[in-house]
Amino acid sequence: MSINYPNISQTNRRKELVAGRSDSRSPMASTAETEGQKPKHRPIIRIGIFIIAHSFLVSVVCCTAGVLALLLLPVLAKKTYVSENALMPGSATPMLSDQDVSGATRFINELTSLKLKSWNMGIEIPRLIALHMSNLGGEVNYHKFQTQPNNLHPLYFFTSPDAEANIVNKTCQSYATNTVGIIRAPRGDGKEAIVLVTPYNPVNLTQNEVLSLGIAYSVFSLLTQVSWLAKDIIWLAADSQYGQYNSVAAWLRDYHTPSFGGHGKLHADNCHGTSGMHESKLDTFVETEVSDTFRRAGTMAAAFVIKVANTGEEGEQDALNIYAEASNGQMPNLDLINVVSYLAVHGQGLRVKVEKLVSLLDSKWLNFIGEMLESVGKIARSLNPQWKFGIPVQEYVEGSATLVSSLYNQAIGVPTGSHGAFRDYQVDAITLEISPKLSSSTKARQTEFLFRGGRLIEGVVRSVNNLLEKFHQSFFLYLLTASNKFISVGVYMIAFLLLVAPLPVVAASLFSDATKSKPDSQKHKSTSSEPFQSWRWLYPTKTIFLVHLWGAIVSLLPYFIYQIPDCQPTSRLLIWASLSIIILAILHSFFGPSSTHLQEWVLLKSVTVSSLFIGLCLMSVINFATAEIGALILVPMCLMIKPWKVAGKAHSAFNFLLLTIGFPGAAFFVVKGAFGVRNGSGLVEFWYWVESLWAWNSATYIYICMVHLPCWVLCICILLHSC
Amino acid sequence: MAKSSQKSTKKKQQPWFWTSAVASIITRLVLIIYFPNTLNFSSRPEVSTPLTSIRRLAEGYWLKQSSMSPYAGSMYHGSPLLLSILGPLTVDRGEGQPSHLLFGLAFVIADFITAMLIRSIGQLLQITNSQSLKSLGAGRLSKISENFPSGDVAALVYLWNPLTIITCLGYSTSPIENLMIVLSLYGACMRLVPLAAFGWVIASHLSLYPVILVIPLVFLIGSGLDTPPRKLFVQQTYGDDQDELSSDTHREHKGTTNGTSNLINFSWRRVVLFFLWASACAFYVLVLCSISLKEFSGLGEMFKRTYGFILSVEDLSPNIGLLWYFFAEVFDFFRDFFLIVFHINILFMVLPLAIRLHHRPCFLAFVYIAISSVLKSYPSVGDSALYLGLLGLFVNALADMQFSFFLFSGYLGTLLLSPVMHNLWIWRGTGNANFYFATAMAYACFQIILVVESVSSMLNHDRALKQATTPVAKKVQ
Repeated sequence: MSINYPNISQTNRRKELVAGRSDSRSPMASTAETEGQKPKHRPIIRIGIFIIAHSFLVSVVCCTAGVLALLLLPVLAKKTYVSENALMPGSATPMLSDQDVSGATRFINELTSLKLKSWNMGIEIPRLIALHMSNLGGEVNYHKFQTQPNNLHPLYFFTSPDAEANIVNKTCQSYATNTVGIIRAPRGDGKEAIVLVTPYNPVNLTQNEVLSLGIAYSVFSLLTQVSWLAKDIIWLAADSQYGQYNSVAAWLRDYHTPSFGGHGKLHADNCHGTSGMHESKLDTFVETEVSDTFRRAGTMAAAFVIKVANTGEEGEQDALNIYAEASNGQMPNLDLINVVSYLAVHGQGLRVKVEKLVSLLDSKWLNFIGEMLESVGKIARSLNPQWKFGIPVQEYVEGSATLVSSLYNQAIGVPTGSHGAFRDYQVDAITLEISPKLSSSTKARQTEFLFRGGRLIEGVVRSVNNLLEKFHQSFFLYLLTASNKFISVGVYMIAFLLLVAPLPVVAASLFSDATKSKPDSQKHKSTSSEPFQSWRWLYPTKTIFLVHLWGAIVSLLPYFIYQIPDCQPTSRLLIWASLSIIILAILHSFFGPSSTHLQEWVLLKSVTVSSLFIGLCLMSVINFATAEIGALILVPMCLMIKPWKVAGKAHSAFNFLLLTIGFPGAAFFVVKGAFGVRNGSGLVEFWYWVESLWAWNSATYIYICMVHLPCWVLCICILLHSC
Repeated sequence: MAKSSQKSTKKKQQPWFWTSAVASIITRLVLIIYFPNTLNFSSRPEVSTPLTSIRRLAEGYWLKQSSMSPYAGSMYHGSPLLLSILGPLTVDRGEGQPSHLLFGLAFVIADFITAMLIRSIGQLLQITNSQSLKSLGAGRLSKISENFPSGDVAALVYLWNPLTIITCLGYSTSPIENLMIVLSLYGACMRLVPLAAFGWVIASHLSLYPVILVIPLVFLIGSGLDTPPRKLFVQQTYGDDQDELSSDTHREHKGTTNGTSNLINFSWRRVVLFFLWASACAFYVLVLCSISLKEFSGLGEMFKRTYGFILSVEDLSPNIGLLWYFFAEVFDFFRDFFLIVFHINILFMVLPLAIRLHHRPCFLAFVYIAISSVLKSYPSVGDSALYLGLLGLFVNALADMQFSFFLFSGYLGTLLLSPVMHNLWIWRGTGNANFYFATAMAYACFQIILVVESVSSMLNHDRALKQATTPVAKKVQ
């Protein structure tokens, strides 16, 4: 190991040593000065030196290629396919019968009439659902829970979901009741389960929620009778008066972290007495069957949230919307989406849609790019019919709109529905939102709709029921461009890597510049003043470390700001900003001007760029979409930045523009504007957006405070550098 | 943070060292007292291995208290002595005094003592270095080498290294192992043969791999601290005035530190003494172990459950090493063969390095520790913390080290990536074992680059010395 050191110009070194102090250079640097003497480097080092020598060209080419690759992504999307053979979607004929649907219709009517006459809906409706569940033959229990206040857990991402102690001051005010019905599988061993979730608001029950409950009822009614069931079925009628996500999350928390101490249980019972669940005139039947003991089935294989959307979409078919994004841009296994969309299209004739940004559909530049790509594709096909490159303009634009929406939803890290709660426990879940084509007021129409929805859910459950292992066959990391087209991680990573590839190259070239230029200027002055040439990067590293430390403090500040009572969002935002600036000033006055070595902006930029590279690569693993958007903003800024005294006027103005866009707050509005999401009222909206990021423990927040903001501050430092 | 410390030491202000050291201790205490469970380091695979986890130690202690063998149930794999010393601390007192405080304090003290020992090793090294340079007549170079008080640098690098702090907060027992290794080195540097033998025996007893340190220890005891290659002194003898040299030798001979004289006299007497002491210590340790295990099982089980566990890589839970993945994949009938291959790997490096670097035993010890922490069966960041601290001892010789910034970024990147990948695999379920193993491989690569670069720049340093001390007449040719 020690022996095979490359003979990097040993003779040369010796001569220098005789002259005085051996100057230390990275091998990249040493080449420049040994040009005349035929350096004997290994090929790999020579390639590295070549790349570094042309760093400007490399960075321009790579950045352009990265942006182009991003624009090409909709073209590169592949058709989805069901990868897990055991799923066998659509191999069995639907068994949902008139009997089940008529039962569901009766159930719907009862709910509707209850809604009209009763005033104490919060108690009556769960009771009615429980009654019907147990009539069908399921095991039923109520799950009472209390909504948890949203707290900032900055370290949430690195800890396990249940590592957080959830101690809440319990009051009886915000209790809600989930109703859970379980069918035990006749062919299973009770180790696995499939979950159906129907969120409804008992205080204000809408017709859509009633319909979704009806669909779930019809499926539940069928599944109690079938003989093929190998996984238990859990029907969770989630009480969403305090939010759809919260109810499901609370149930999942109690499902996965059993409390043996029973503090929460006792308290729930107390409240339970006051809420008067048992005092009301319950049927004795229900009283014996329905218990408060928490019932469990096995590990969850998959979960489906069933919703019914408003009509309003014109079209000749019922439509199915699929929502899949969970917290921090996590997606369920692609097979789950595949099965659902396959069955919806081929089984029930539904039109499957994925959320897209409608405002992008008629944007001119996107259409232009689409036309360009289409014509390129045509030319390619005329040259060789084998090349199936290029897609129609319409498809390209729709694909991009879907892709952008998918990227945006993943980037902010907030789940798009209550299915997000399952992903925290590694359960694959999606929301199926079925929207009927016309108002479902007529009886026949409603029955047909129930048939469609029920058969879809039945087919999906039957398919997932076949599963032998947990979903693992297909992708977890992908972006959707349509319901049946996807871009896998191997493809979209290329775009990102091309974009960030210039960072290490530029860092290395700057670093070698800095180490190369210094000795020449200093050689005559003194040899022993600065012997640690190769360790000079420690000084800028200290600066960067301090700035990142500042970023960490900034990210923790809101926790303390929240302790201030009665504050307007705007004033909170202002307190936050001013505190951050004060802390930065304090850090600067303590540590900043202590050494003169900070004068070297080249080294500072080199270290900044490499720290940005590390940060972006980390973030791309955690949440790809955030890293991609962050790279689009930060990479040009960091590569272009130069002190204004060194750079020309135009260059400085351009830098200033990039810096303005690069500030996280400005970037927020720019991104929102670019994606066409509604532009709101400035600061307040920004504050609420940041608040939502804490509430969902989004890694994007950590990224903004610990990578984006420090990098921006360092770029300002470089711009204002007095060299 | 090590950078600020380096800057501080550069100004040659002694108080800076102490404030910095005390600040690091206070940081640790604050983190232990106020954030005991927030970061949950003790459950991280990077910090606690099956050998060093305090939870396993508590389990072993509990088994022992309930009159069972501590090795029952494949939970505990450490030494029985550690069980007797640290075990009582793991018991929950139940008087509002959390148990983690006590062993947290123990590890903080261990860290501090280690740092102090490293500091005094560094001071010894520096004195020796400047003396040998003076005797070589390379005064110009010796002036440069006094720039950095390497002992202070090394101690502060050890104390402020985030890896050391994490290990301390993670309540793994590696601070104790590190202390024993450094203790043996210190004993050998000071030529306190019993201390060196004691440290070596205990360190080997705790984690087996320090056994290979016997070679640098013997060099240290036999011929003294790090010097430039012996050839140079021989040249010097011929080239220079004889009288000057003899007087020089005479002067050096009195002191504890080495001079030119030691190069010729390898003190076999001390080495034999070392081995006698070592066998006495080993015997004593074994007697203590057998006493502590008397009621449950014999020494045979202890060897099987500690050394056997280390050598046969039974626990395949993920860590930052390379072996768990490999042995999870390998077919069962090849297992023995590859076990031999992997363990021989370390031994292969021992002899060539010993031949090449025999004149610098401290550096040799650093290289051995670094290599064994790459290739050992259950590595943790605590091992890396030790060799990074020791690296600071050679800060003057390694001033020309290449790729230092590259290595720094690499270490930082992989160590940040590792928990993220672990999260992706274990908690999110979207990744798999390959993701985590990829960071482990990258980490191993960076460690190996560090070793290669430091060794090569040390050799370059020697070459530079040789160049600087050869007579002028030769140089002209």
